[in-house]
Amino acid sequence: MWFFVIGDLWIFACYFACYMRDRARNPELFQQGQELLSQGIGALNTVILLTSSLFVALCVQATRAKDIAVASRFLALGSACGAAFMLIKAGEWYLKIHAGFPESTDPFFIYYFMLTGLHMVHVALGLVILALLWRELRGAKEPRAQFAETCATYWHMVDSLWIAIFALVYLVR
Amino acid sequence: MSESVWAGRAGTPRSAGAEARLARNPKLDQWICYWSIPFFYTLFGLIFVLFGRIMPPPSPTASIEDVLEYMQAPKLGVGMALLSLTLGLASLSSGVIVVQMKRMEGISPVLPYAYLTALAVAGVPGCLFPGFVFALGNFRPEYSAQIQQMLYDLGFLSFVGSLGCFVIQYLVFAIAIFLDRRMIFPKWLGYLTIWALVTELVAIPIWITRTGPFAWDGLLSFYLGTVLFVGWEFCMCVCLYRAIKNQPVEELIGRAAAHGE
Amino acid sequence: MNTRDQRICLGLVPVFGALFLIGFTICPGLFPPLSPTMTAEQVAAFYRDHVGQIRASMILFNLIGIGFIPFFMVIVVQMMRMGNPSRAFAYSYLAAAVSGGTLFALADLAWLNAVARPDRDPQLTLLLNDLAWFSFTTPVGFIITQNLCLALAIYMDALPEPVFPRWVGHFNVVSALLMVPGAFALLYKTGPFAWDGALSYWLRITTYTLYVAVMFFVVRTAIHRQVAREGRVLAEAASA
Repeated sequence: MWFFVIGDLWIFACYFACYMRDRARNPELFQQGQELLSQGIGALNTVILLTSSLFVALCVQATRAKDIAVASRFLALGSACGAAFMLIKAGEWYLKIHAGFPESTDPFFIYYFMLTGLHMVHVALGLVILALLWRELRGAKEPRAQFAETCATYWHMVDSLWIAIFALVYLVR
Repeated sequence: MSESVWAGRAGTPRSAGAEARLARNPKLDQWICYWSIPFFYTLFGLIFVLFGRIMPPPSPTASIEDVLEYMQAPKLGVGMALLSLTLGLASLSSGVIVVQMKRMEGISPVLPYAYLTALAVAGVPGCLFPGFVFALGNFRPEYSAQIQQMLYDLGFLSFVGSLGCFVIQYLVFAIAIFLDRRMIFPKWLGYLTIWALVTELVAIPIWITRTGPFAWDGLLSFYLGTVLFVGWEFCMCVCLYRAIKNQPVEELIGRAAAHGE
Repeated sequence: MNTRDQRICLGLVPVFGALFLIGFTICPGLFPPLSPTMTAEQVAAFYRDHVGQIRASMILFNLIGIGFIPFFMVIVVQMMRMGNPSRAFAYSYLAAAVSGGTLFALADLAWLNAVARPDRDPQLTLLLNDLAWFSFTTPVGFIITQNLCLALAIYMDALPEPVFPRWVGHFNVVSALLMVPGAFALLYKTGPFAWDGALSYWLRITTYTLYVAVMFFVVRTAIHRQVAREGRVLAEAASA
């Protein structure tokens, strides 16, 4: 899993580098686009995802302590936060697409949709992975702490990616 | 059909000859299919890079004169004729990969068959059809400039933008690797496959924008995607080689057919 | 193995084959073929003047265009019975047959569209005409791969009673080679390689027709032998 995480972070780093390069070339265009994004929604999503990471970490701790009932509860909460994140993002997208974005000559919004879209795919995959963890917790006789840790590693990666995206796309001026 | 036309063989020199050949190299059929892969990709490189200059692609915002000059290049037509002749070789790679996928434990035949069909479907809209489109423009210089430009767009958009078939191909392959208990292919190849899948997603914007890193000649949609694909294909070849090599000879079905029946 | 469905699929071959031949020979632009040297206006005029007949044949082809796929699948099933070490060639054959089948459908759609609007810009009709001919003539790579896979599988068939005789393998190789010129129709407007030329058109179509006819009989015999053999095996098992 670490192979995947490091590689994935590296690939996203390439995307971020391209984003920064294009931003340096078109500061006004990117600024204008950025102003059209709602920082409030972005911040809300960040908090939700951070909370979900906290829940997943607590779940791993509980699994190590063999307290499966508690672990399951934290997992459920963490997954719910992840799902909420996706719903809010989908809503944000819907509003933007309805308003006509992205236009074919607008690099900022294409970056916005691509970066957040790619991230959403990662979140969706993360929810699948958390569901597998759920099955492990409920089904297996001795749920493996190591499996929980692997799943959590992925989820934390997804969270860190979002923080980077939030900072770059929503905040940096 | 008369037995004389048919026979000359039952239990005889021909089957004995085939058996002897197979005894020397029991996995000959898989190896033939395997070696077609580097052969095919070398040809692919020649056709798309040297002859067609389709890779790396020219710009979506090229002037009409540049478009016409591109479409009229004589090597483009030759490249596309070669493509028509050789694209079938890609089927050989599917065949041997499916054989190895069917060895996996923990999956049903659904995943290998899905892989086979996804790739069989991918060949025409993603590769041959753009080839025809370029060949069309090349064949008739007398088409109007507008039509030539449409063909230019159609060719590149279809070639770079055929995403779904490959998404499905990568998806079922990755799922199979992760479910496989026998580790026919290593898990890290599964992760690489997921990245390859992601590069298809990153190519989505080529349908929206004509400039910048997400256009069909863009740094992210094209170059990063192609680099990742080449890396993936290389790793795939290495893993496939190991998988065929490590396949125990007892598993080969021909032996059962030849001896058991 | 149940061979009834194989025999049904095989029985479809003469039916579809006859329909193909009929559709082919009554179609004005297809047989004899339109020349690639015709101008846009000439091509548009031709399609305008022969709408009815072209459309009839093309609609027929629309329906039966994929008609040989069940036949190719019977061949795949027979390939899976062979004494090859693995089924790699059978799977490759399947993939190539699938890819190749789509192209005839594409050509058919292009022709049908060419006759659909007589009053459109002649250049657009010419474009559709060219696309149809290219799709019909040039993608020989798939059928070549199919034939070569079958030939290789036959050569490596180590069963004591091979499914197909060796000469069928040779026949497949030769047919494949005879189709090669078709790919070069993309480059020439006149001469033997052009889509109406001796090599790309007459040789290719004759080879393909002969190929289907010969393989029909070959597969039929193979299935009879399969049934006979399985009958023998059962009888031996029963008496043992």
